[in-house]
Amino acid sequence: MAAGEAAAAGLLPAAAAAQAAWLVWVLPFAAALIMPAAGRAAPRAAGYAAIAFALASALLAASLLPGALSASEVHDQIGWIDAIGLKAGVLADPLAVIMANVVGWISFLIIIYSTGYMKGDRSLVRFWFWMMFFIGSMQLIVLSDNLLQLFFGWEGVGLASYALISFWYRDKKKDHVGREGRRALGLLDYYSPTHAGMKAFIMTKVGDVMMIAGMLLIFAFAGTFGFKELAGDTAWAADMAAAGLLVPAAVLLFGGAVGKSAQFPLNEWLLEAMTGPTAVSALIHAATMVKAGVFLVARLGPLFFALGAAGILADQFFEVVAWVGAVTALLLATQGMVNPEIKKVLAYSTGSQIGYMMMALGIAGLSDRFTDGYTAGFFHLMSHAMFKASLFMAAGSLLHAVGSRFMTDMGGLRRSMKKTYAFMWAAGLALMGAPFITTGFWSKDAIFAAVYESGNAWAAPIFAIAVLTAVITAFYTTRMIGMVFFGPKSAHVLRMESAGRLVREAPLSMWAPYGILAALTIGIGIIGFSVEGGMHHLFVEYLDHSFGIRDAEDHAVAASALPGPLAGLNPVALGASVAAFSVGIGLGYVFYVGRWADPARFVASSPVFYGIHKLLLNRWYLNAMVYWGFVVAPLWLARGVFRYFERTAIDYGMNAGLEKAVGWSARVVQGTQTGVAQSYLFVFGAGILFVALVLLV
Amino acid sequence: MEYALLQAVFLPLLLSPLAYVVGRRAGAGPAAWVTFGILLYGTALVVLAAAQDGTYEERYPWTEMFGEFGLLMDGLAAPFAIMIYAISAILALYSRPYMEHKFRQMYAGRRRAAVLELEAGGGAAGGGGAAGDGEGEGGAHGAAGADPEFDRYARSQSGLYFALFLVFAMGMLGTILATNLIEFYVFFEVMLIPGFFLVAFWGDGPRRRIALMFLFWTHVGAVVLLLGFLALGLSVGSFDFADIKGADIPPDVAFLAAVAIALGLGVKLAAFMFHVWLPWVHGAAPTPISALLSPVMIGIGAYGIFRLIVEFLPAQYGELSVWFHVWGLATMIYGGAMALMQDDLKRMLAYSSVSQMGYLLFGIGTHSALGLAGAEMMYVTHALGKGLLFMAAGVIIVQVGTRSISKLGGLAGRMPITAVCAVIGALTIMGVPPTSGFMGEWIMFYGALETAVAEDSALRYATFGLGLVATALTMSYMLWMLKRVFFGKTPAGLSGVREAGWHMTAPMMVLAGFTVVLGIYPDIFLEGIVPYMSGVLG
Repeated sequence: MAAGEAAAAGLLPAAAAAQAAWLVWVLPFAAALIMPAAGRAAPRAAGYAAIAFALASALLAASLLPGALSASEVHDQIGWIDAIGLKAGVLADPLAVIMANVVGWISFLIIIYSTGYMKGDRSLVRFWFWMMFFIGSMQLIVLSDNLLQLFFGWEGVGLASYALISFWYRDKKKDHVGREGRRALGLLDYYSPTHAGMKAFIMTKVGDVMMIAGMLLIFAFAGTFGFKELAGDTAWAADMAAAGLLVPAAVLLFGGAVGKSAQFPLNEWLLEAMTGPTAVSALIHAATMVKAGVFLVARLGPLFFALGAAGILADQFFEVVAWVGAVTALLLATQGMVNPEIKKVLAYSTGSQIGYMMMALGIAGLSDRFTDGYTAGFFHLMSHAMFKASLFMAAGSLLHAVGSRFMTDMGGLRRSMKKTYAFMWAAGLALMGAPFITTGFWSKDAIFAAVYESGNAWAAPIFAIAVLTAVITAFYTTRMIGMVFFGPKSAHVLRMESAGRLVREAPLSMWAPYGILAALTIGIGIIGFSVEGGMHHLFVEYLDHSFGIRDAEDHAVAASALPGPLAGLNPVALGASVAAFSVGIGLGYVFYVGRWADPARFVASSPVFYGIHKLLLNRWYLNAMVYWGFVVAPLWLARGVFRYFERTAIDYGMNAGLEKAVGWSARVVQGTQTGVAQSYLFVFGAGILFVALVLLV
Repeated sequence: MEYALLQAVFLPLLLSPLAYVVGRRAGAGPAAWVTFGILLYGTALVVLAAAQDGTYEERYPWTEMFGEFGLLMDGLAAPFAIMIYAISAILALYSRPYMEHKFRQMYAGRRRAAVLELEAGGGAAGGGGAAGDGEGEGGAHGAAGADPEFDRYARSQSGLYFALFLVFAMGMLGTILATNLIEFYVFFEVMLIPGFFLVAFWGDGPRRRIALMFLFWTHVGAVVLLLGFLALGLSVGSFDFADIKGADIPPDVAFLAAVAIALGLGVKLAAFMFHVWLPWVHGAAPTPISALLSPVMIGIGAYGIFRLIVEFLPAQYGELSVWFHVWGLATMIYGGAMALMQDDLKRMLAYSSVSQMGYLLFGIGTHSALGLAGAEMMYVTHALGKGLLFMAAGVIIVQVGTRSISKLGGLAGRMPITAVCAVIGALTIMGVPPTSGFMGEWIMFYGALETAVAEDSALRYATFGLGLVATALTMSYMLWMLKRVFFGKTPAGLSGVREAGWHMTAPMMVLAGFTVVLGIYPDIFLEGIVPYMSGVLG
């Protein structure tokens, strides 16, 4: 496209677009680097610098949008590791640009929120450094044009999460998560920030180990890490498939996504990650970190799917993705129903919703209409980013106002925190998938439809899991809102009030960001169906252009019997979606809003309910099993080896033992020096006899 | 450029008396600066030689019997040589505050012993129990600020220390640049002697015994190495590298020589089963020396394998590579598991060095150009990362007065610069980008995978996978150490701890900066390493 034409179409010229794409991720890093200096100049300057740089990065991302919406792409490379012939580059295609905007704008709002939330903290420079590092790493993941460079961002995200989860590294009691003294399978379920950060870093590292193995496998066959090169010439894939390594490599790469996105079985770090400041949790759950895994699958999924055209099938890869997503969605949603800590409920919810996204991306590869599932998954990523960021920030306000992370210490707050109450309902409704007015509804419905219409053998069980999870989601969201805002004030709040500390609404800098996002979820939700249609259209073009993926005819739409504005929706998915929402919110209302039944008495009413409740509260015992298997047992083994091998065989045997042996043999030799001529003669004679015998025989 | 390498190698030796005299006359400060200056000049010469296009070589006549005395700087030697001198120079500066602390402690110990002797039987001696060789917690700080007797003591000690320091650095560089088996062996032993005295004079704990252990084990290794050298040299009829390379050696002699060299260098590398001396020595050595011994010196074993086995005996290398691979893997895992169990900070780092030497061996066993290149990058990386960590441990010893991990905690708030540098060092060891550790690691593991794919070997696939899993182990022990030392609650006694002066922090910051630069732009070294390794493997 010529420069003039580009300008006429409202696009940036190619060179400027490339620069913008670079700067989107470079700027946050630059901001991180100047933070110490800014913080020294003036404590407030660091915060303003962070806002300015986050805004600049987001604006640059936005400047790329017109180009992306016309399905064009920007690809720019520079030399990097010449010794191995590797280049660094940015690839701003529609997928990357939309993601960069989601990340950029939501991060920007969270940064504003942080200025209020973190006010008065002693270590603000450190906080801003890692926040900007976090955002920069995520944008690096999004805009990289090759896997190796992406991995820099990938590990950068892990590092930043480590630093921010253990931000309050002094391990004060108030910064822990879990209830003190609670045990599951004999192990404490109560974690300090530094423990939590370490846990997150190591668990995601397990995923990263798999990912790097997958990356290197592909590099060994393709000789390149570049996404465009990999999609351009697929001879590597044929070789890999012939060697039986294509699906393993793909699944290993997905292992990285499983770790980063906290999917089963690497999901357990996500809960403890709640020890970080709430602004960090919002960033991790909405914009950075856990979304990275989904993005990776969205990046690579089409690549593997497109191989199908050449007769190379990677179906097992997509089956793994879909099932991991489905299992995680249900597993974490069930635990969200019982947890008393508000941030943990939201964390479970995030893992569960990411499961939905994985499910959609996986099912996309198993159907003949790839774009349906792909769009659904990505649309859900966007809507989840908005409502979850909003919910987390609102939860942070509650934590500030009440000074406790337990919902049982809240209750009846709807009058004292009206704005938060309203915004939480809006965002909560989006999470529940309230029909027709929330983004969450449209994206979840799209997932239901994609699963239902995929025609795959696994479609039926996965669809059932998806619907069940939706019921649970609506239930726990209602429960959360009910416990926080309805019912009588808790003893804790009453104590606070009697001490003269009234529960107050958060300041503007805090409620505005989540207010904006809550309004957006409803605003976009009302036109959600056409937004999704536009995105679908864009992705059809993008996938065709970049990967040559063309969908089969949409038979379902033709068969749709729905009237008017709903035409094009799958009636079964729609019905299931509305029903799940109604059942879930109804149950939640009965127990927690209307309070017509007491949940505690309900649980106690039957040993079955009690058992299930305990199982869920103890996280299906999975966390405890992970600790027994991968922490306690290895440490026990290492201690045994240290005590009974290193200390004895090596240290003693090879030092003191050797010394003693030498000393002993010296004494033996010494003992022969008797000075008695007879014994010398005797030995001499025996020796001669021996030699003579040897010679004779 | 003439005589550049000759100067770089021998100036430290020739000028070591100068350091001694300056130390005696003027004390540790000037001696440290003199040492730093000499080593900085040497570093500059080494860098200049390395920056020449192609290889740079100097030859000097030597004896009839052994051949020529040459000094060679090529793609393989350059990273080793630069790291050795650069880190030595930096550590010379760092030594000053650490050793002053150490002298004060030893002086206090001596005085206390003298007082106890005088007052034998009397109930005096307020402190009770003599601190002996161990760290008398903090007590040493108070002892004598302007005591002339202490000044005399410290001066005499620092003169000797810096003189030995220079000879130690020179021995390491000479080994790397040698072009002759005998020359290699001589330098190899030369670095051992000052190392022995440095540990024996200023170590912790039962330092003379540990120094003897060091001498004994590395010497046994060196003798086995010498056997290999003699077998090679006598069958070729020359000890010059140039003659040995490509010479027609009977395969069984070559194989035996390769095994002997591997075992001899295995002791230096502290590979699994030969690692017995390392935790003791590196734990007990004065910390600047630990920071030099642990990453810089033991890695010379890897250099030896590169030069002597990979380059000169390629056929035998092909046969042995799988064994190196497995041996490396065992060392990686074993060292990591033992590091988990340590309470002494320096011993924990020492076991971590064992594990890291496993990575090097693992990389050597890849039998692939990139795998070997990655292994060499791992040497550089480990020199930076472990150097940083040992220096941080030294800061803790000086500022806090203990090295027991269980007595530490929450130091990040008290000494932020040290904490940041230690974290960067740990990230380097863990192989997290953007530190240089990642660059070494992925290239090395790629090499392992490449060979596994090419040979379609199940064993190599398995070692590749297990090696990657071992990185998670590395991460675990490092993060756990960081958590217990720098984060968490601060024990009551540590509330007065302060950050060290810039003599200690500035050297750490230099290394920390370099590991990040190298992690983002590894071509600084890779441009020389990769062509060399590809050339060697043909």
